[in-house]
Amino acid sequence: MKFSKYFKDNLYKLLVFIVCYVFHLLIFFAFKVDKSVIISSSFLYIICFLLILFIPYVRKKKFYTDLLINIESLDKSYLVLETLSKPEFYEGELLYQALYEINKSMNEKVRFIEDHMQDVKEYIEMWIHEVKIPLSTLVLMSNNHKNQFDKKTKLQLKRLEDYVDQVLYYTRSENAEKDYLIKETELSKVIKNVGLKNMDDLLENKIDYIVENVHNKVLTDSKWLEFILGQIVNNSIKYKRNIDHSYIKISVQEKQEKTILIIKDNGIGIKESDLKQVFNKSFTGENGRNASKSTGMGLFIAKNMCEKLGHKIDIESVYHEYTKVYITFAKNKYYDVLR
Amino acid sequence: MTKIMIIEDDEVICKELKEILEKSGYEVILIQNFTNSLQEIYTCNPNLLLLDINIPHLNGQLLLQELRKSSDIPVIMVTSKNSEIEEALSISYGADDYITKPYNPNILLLRIGAVLKRTKTNYNTNVNKLTYKELTFDSQKGIIKKEDMEIELTKNEMIIFSYLLTHQNKIVTREELMTTLWDNAEYINENALTVNMSRLRNKLKEIGYEDAIDTRKGLGYILS
Repeated sequence: MKFSKYFKDNLYKLLVFIVCYVFHLLIFFAFKVDKSVIISSSFLYIICFLLILFIPYVRKKKFYTDLLINIESLDKSYLVLETLSKPEFYEGELLYQALYEINKSMNEKVRFIEDHMQDVKEYIEMWIHEVKIPLSTLVLMSNNHKNQFDKKTKLQLKRLEDYVDQVLYYTRSENAEKDYLIKETELSKVIKNVGLKNMDDLLENKIDYIVENVHNKVLTDSKWLEFILGQIVNNSIKYKRNIDHSYIKISVQEKQEKTILIIKDNGIGIKESDLKQVFNKSFTGENGRNASKSTGMGLFIAKNMCEKLGHKIDIESVYHEYTKVYITFAKNKYYDVLR
Repeated sequence: MTKIMIIEDDEVICKELKEILEKSGYEVILIQNFTNSLQEIYTCNPNLLLLDINIPHLNGQLLLQELRKSSDIPVIMVTSKNSEIEEALSISYGADDYITKPYNPNILLLRIGAVLKRTKTNYNTNVNKLTYKELTFDSQKGIIKKEDMEIELTKNEMIIFSYLLTHQNKIVTREELMTTLWDNAEYINENALTVNMSRLRNKLKEIGYEDAIDTRKGLGYILS
């Protein structure tokens, strides 16, 4: 609370005072009052005025200053009311009460939306389990009745499956609630599952899946990591170059504090101008515009999930040469002690 | 014959699954009435159980808990719940494996085979030494023996040969072979499979089995 502004706001008090004072003097002059009386009463007058001006300022200053500073310093400024003691002047009480009511109604609204979000999330999870039943049936049927289902149908089925999974993990990763389980996971197993899942696609597109000696264990949720790796492999398949010997090479770098999983392909790569934005929601960039299949969601979800799991994901690329994705897993000393 | 019991409430899936498993030489039992599934498991006494989590009456995980109190029949949970938490829970209740829908049938078969081998209830194929006519095949060492002759197979050739051997007299598709290879972390491509196949044939030829492996155009291979 600045005094200058407060004073400006209370300028009318000064005016009233001056007007009153002038009349006062006039009356004194009219009755020919003694000079000493005029001086002493004027002195009293001025003191009274200053008190009227300053006392409310002092009373209000603490409350308003705290309010402003705390709003500024809190990262959740809607909690500011909790940090203030109840003011002891009427205006302050009114403001305090109003803020309290506003807060309460906002909390109710937020709660309502949270509940609603939870409902939507539960519905989507349920729907995904439901939709996977006919999907599984189709997969089984395509295997049993090969004359009715050709390879193309199978690949389409796989795409359908991928999109369904994308919805599932999007809802899971966007939700505040913890939906994963971190435990020691063998990277080779995750890599194998992703490979098997994409085998038909990789063979069809003549892309070699090269896995270099991976014998490392990391702390992660294997299902989530499978999805993340799946997105990266999918991208490599989608954005392959028309050359002989396309490949996706997966390797691991073990460092003292961390383990880095590296996925490198020799696909079309990403333009430097697009590189910073590939993890943004709905970003498709130059490559995406050329491939109609792009939704720009895969890497966004992958990044989100990595952040939740506490992994770091980075991308590096030279256009028309290669793309390299790094996933960094931290080693947990606390966990080592527990073992 | 190895008996597999499927506990799953979707009829079409049951039917298709049954067809796949029967083609691979398993005997399949389906459960119709879920109110008494535990009793049915005991009476049929299958070698392996494919159990869905979302089944009517008693849910799959609870059923498994009940079952584990008195039986150690191998159980594979087959479910659409793709979550580490559910998986960890199922394993802690005593499931031997956990597969999420929609699954690749070839992979399902591989998992079933692996669980049966691990739990040693599959009396037909659980030996490491397989035989083919006068040949003995040691899949541990990757060696084929005929009297005093010995040939050594590479890892890929070994995987292919043992798969053909366990599916003797049946047509094995390239896709099945590929899946098996990839499942063993040998991520080879189509060309490499062809190369491996012809190397294996040459090796068999060396010990006098020139036409052991037959190619069926558009279908796959057969060891007869």
